[in-house]
Amino acid sequence: MTPAWILDILAALMLVVAAVSAARLGLARPWRQGAVVTDTDVSHLFMGIAMAGMLASSLTTLPNAGWEVIFALFTVWFGSRVVRDARSNGARALAGGHCAPHLVHSAAMLYMFVALAAPASGGSGMGGMGGGTAMQTLKYPTLAFVFALILIGYTIWDLDQLSGKRYSRAGASLSLAGVAAARVQPAGVPALAGAEPGTLASAAVATGDSAQAVLAKTAPAPVAPVAPAPNAAPAREAAWLRSEGITIGCRIAMGATMAFMLLIMI
Amino acid sequence: MSEVAVAGGRTAWRGRLGTEAQLAGARLDARRALQLALAAIWLLDAVLQYQSFMYTKAFGQMIAATASGNPSVIARPITWNATLVEHHLAAINTIFATIQLLIGLGIAFRPTVRLALAVSIAWSLGVWWFGEGLGGVLSGAASPLNGAPGAVIIYALLAVLLWPADRDIAAPFTAARAVGARVARGLWLVLWLSLAYFAVTPANRAPQAIHGMIAGMESGNPGWLAALDRGAASLVSGQGLAASIVLAVALVLIAVGVYLPSSAAKATLVLAIVVALMIWVFGEAFGTIMTGGGTDPNSGPLLVLLALCYWPLGSADGLNATEGKAA
Repeated sequence: MTPAWILDILAALMLVVAAVSAARLGLARPWRQGAVVTDTDVSHLFMGIAMAGMLASSLTTLPNAGWEVIFALFTVWFGSRVVRDARSNGARALAGGHCAPHLVHSAAMLYMFVALAAPASGGSGMGGMGGGTAMQTLKYPTLAFVFALILIGYTIWDLDQLSGKRYSRAGASLSLAGVAAARVQPAGVPALAGAEPGTLASAAVATGDSAQAVLAKTAPAPVAPVAPAPNAAPAREAAWLRSEGITIGCRIAMGATMAFMLLIMI
Repeated sequence: MSEVAVAGGRTAWRGRLGTEAQLAGARLDARRALQLALAAIWLLDAVLQYQSFMYTKAFGQMIAATASGNPSVIARPITWNATLVEHHLAAINTIFATIQLLIGLGIAFRPTVRLALAVSIAWSLGVWWFGEGLGGVLSGAASPLNGAPGAVIIYALLAVLLWPADRDIAAPFTAARAVGARVARGLWLVLWLSLAYFAVTPANRAPQAIHGMIAGMESGNPGWLAALDRGAASLVSGQGLAASIVLAVALVLIAVGVYLPSSAAKATLVLAIVVALMIWVFGEAFGTIMTGGGTDPNSGPLLVLLALCYWPLGSADGLNATEGKAA
């Protein structure tokens, strides 16, 4: 049996992902008019909680049926986004797009909850993979294998892209920090969506322009040189927490953990 | 990123469709793509190493079994390793799995590619001896159908061929970039000729040898795969010699293929991919991953990856090869 402490470590990691996602959602201030909420944060929050419950029985929250409904909704949502994304960007939407990995994550979660077979010892519900005397297994192991392969593929791809972008963006991020911080005012306004430092830096890489040039092109109005605001440090932290790198980091952690769960439950 | 704009208590969808897809991705040339495929296989290998089966005595026994038939100088360290694993099963297996995990992630993470590839070579050589008994090469148990000459040595070979260096600027294929075309072709020739040799050893050309090997894969696999294995096994039942000769001829063709002109080389590489996939499906049953007891995906996908390393580069790829120094 895979040692329980390994499952506990992964459960803790999933809770960290859920907490980060919750913090990102909190920073978006969804209760305010014009706030911007990212769907990936919502899905990561739910997935983190669900996966922690699967890994450690003491962290179980909802019954399986509840999670099945939630992940069915996420699957439909991201499925529709992938279709629309593919219409805009073609096949690239599947490899480098944002929605396809989340579709696979959601579908894999749905599969795990639907295909979970009760352990031979007669336990009911999810109950944690390491919590019982017998390991729970999944029906249709071929599907588990296929999902695991795709998840591993996306995890590796994300890690490569993340490290590649870090390389590309090293110079730009410094000069953008103050600008991004100044633009995050008051937090939660729509401008935040268009001024994510990650987005700007990546756009700069894409076009070959300097990050400032991209900013000038995308900004609705000219931005005067800004002195660091008194609340610059918290705003910078908020911008860091809301960066694309954090989203992808969470996705890497979830993808690898999910592949692990699928394969050890075959 | 798709986002939800919450306005006045009402939820409205904000259209920023496919933004990330349109952003610049890091440059990806042919070698980097192959490195990522190798990283994915390492990661799969690592995850499999964390399976429940690996935390049972069966794992130690499996290692011990590879000592059988090897010269004592090779066998003794294997037996010592198996005993060590059995005595400290949880700790050692977790360390093994974590090393593989770090190798996989390290290859995918650009700043650590070299380090991870270097570690993977050392690790592979160690596992080839202490964990796989040199793939049965010296014991006579090696067969192309069961992963000869040891899947793990192919990991090491791939790490060498995909090393991020450019010895040959005008490399005709990716594998030649790091070691030069002559060495790369030589390595390919040795590998595939050795597989051809193993295909016709007495143990593998016996009338029921291939039948028994494929039929033995049925147990524990999903119904469709078991049925495929059953069908393939019945096809070669009593035909061990003929099947071995056909396989050996195909392997020799593949071995010399990289010395042929580009179009013929491509044909033999396609043959290599087809043979590797057939080995993976029928001989290895996907590394028995779907039985819950597979330690690794076995040699099939590695042979496919290796064949892709020798795929002739077009002019565009050649340009990428000279530009993609970071990979």
